[in-house]
Amino acid sequence: MVYAGLLAISAAALAFYLWWATAGLLDRQTEAAIHADAQGLSERWTEGRLPLLVLTIRERLEQNVDDDALYLLVNSDLQPLAGNLRGWPAGVDDPGQPYELRVTRAGAQTVAQVQRYDLPDGYHLLIGRDVQARVKLRQLLADALLWGLVVVAVMALAGAFIVRSLFRRTLANVSVTAAAISSGDFSRRVRVSGRGDEFDQLAETINDMLDRIARLMEGVRQVSNAIAHDLRTPITRARARLEDAALHAATPGELHAAIERATGDLDGIVAVFQALLRISEIEAGSRRAAFTSLDVGAVLADVAELYDPLAEEKGLRLTLDAPSIPPIHGDPEMLRQAVTNLTDNAIKFSPPGGEVRLSAVAVPSGVEIAVADQGPGIPPEDRSRATERFFRGEAARSTPGSGLGLALVQAVALLHGGTLRLEDADPGLRATLSLPGNE
Amino acid sequence: MDVRAIRSLGLGLLLLNGGTAAAAGADSAPSVVTTDTPEYCQKLFDRIGQAIQTATGPTPVEVASLSTEGKRMCHDGLTRGGILRLRRALLILEQGSAAP
Repeated sequence: MVYAGLLAISAAALAFYLWWATAGLLDRQTEAAIHADAQGLSERWTEGRLPLLVLTIRERLEQNVDDDALYLLVNSDLQPLAGNLRGWPAGVDDPGQPYELRVTRAGAQTVAQVQRYDLPDGYHLLIGRDVQARVKLRQLLADALLWGLVVVAVMALAGAFIVRSLFRRTLANVSVTAAAISSGDFSRRVRVSGRGDEFDQLAETINDMLDRIARLMEGVRQVSNAIAHDLRTPITRARARLEDAALHAATPGELHAAIERATGDLDGIVAVFQALLRISEIEAGSRRAAFTSLDVGAVLADVAELYDPLAEEKGLRLTLDAPSIPPIHGDPEMLRQAVTNLTDNAIKFSPPGGEVRLSAVAVPSGVEIAVADQGPGIPPEDRSRATERFFRGEAARSTPGSGLGLALVQAVALLHGGTLRLEDADPGLRATLSLPGNE
Repeated sequence: MDVRAIRSLGLGLLLLNGGTAAAAGADSAPSVVTTDTPEYCQKLFDRIGQAIQTATGPTPVEVASLSTEGKRMCHDGLTRGGILRLRRALLILEQGSAAP
């Protein structure tokens, strides 16, 4: 309706302008002609008073080939002295005021526009123009414009109705889908007409959004299940230990030892929650405030120094290859945590005598940090899921861990605008963290 | 909406636009124009005759044909058309006499 109203108002404004520019112009031309005539006759009056004015009026009428001039000169008793009107028309009283006058010409009635001018000594002069042709033209123009307005109004209404129907149909489609989803049917999607228009694009966007929400909800459900499953075991174990100690501990030492073991189990649970919270914190992007220019080589050297004794203990060789790497913009603590997780995994899964390689290389897009081991690796089919929270591959079932390490590394990569790539190192696994350069 | 209604609206717009001109003598009889009559036609024809007599040069052929045709039309009842031709003839004569 607003659309129809705006269109109708615009059309009306255009019609009014056209009217003003055409019919209005004709009226103004008539008035200008009368004024020019009056000025000429006034000069004649000044030059030769009444006789010259009478002669001039007669001449002008004789030469009026347009056949539209009207004159009437009367004395103070309104007796005609010159001109082509039989008598002074009633109602033409105000000088300078244009009047519309009905006149009879050769038996036919027409319309004229006249104006009265008062002369000295009580003489009055009426000057006018036959505007019948212009009135007809104005009527034709008015009819055309009004018909045009009616057509525009009808088209605007029809257009508004069609557009409204289209919108209502689309919105109803979206509304039905939203109602179904809000009542629990998450499989419903907005219907796509197949026309490929903007409405289809909107429907596809909404469907993509719903798909993503569904995936996220599925992820949340899986994480919830994983948390319940992974935490139940250590909690049950801690409870059993405490219960066993309460029932069977013979000495304070045995009781103390049981409490310590249970505390260790509970510490593991706390660590899992801390890791989950940290991943959430990283994914929320709140750590970006801690971004600074960081030296990747120094971070890798720290981690290598930290894990060197552990690697040695397990009979592994830990090598570091990080030539001069340009600094990048990031969070040093988070990057250290990510490289630590990768190195910890590499050492955990490498067989004795193997090698764990930490390397960093500058690439055009930034920096690539790689941690490679010679362990069992991750089967290709599991690699896409390896970064999910609590995911643990077959090879990792017997190894201690929470299944959150790679999820945290992935979160750190995304926080820095980078990616985590898991590849076959043949043998082993190579985890490559690609981070953008310093902007 | 019929044509009459449209015309009424058109007249409304007409009045809106022509609001500056007041209607005069709406209730009285229309004013009669006296230059559309056979008498005026004869008067113009006589004026042409006078003008031809006072003219110094030869009468243009156009003037003769226009005045003849004008008089014939007036005689046949086509007064306004006849007057128009007589006026043209008179105008040609006036312009001819005004020329150096």
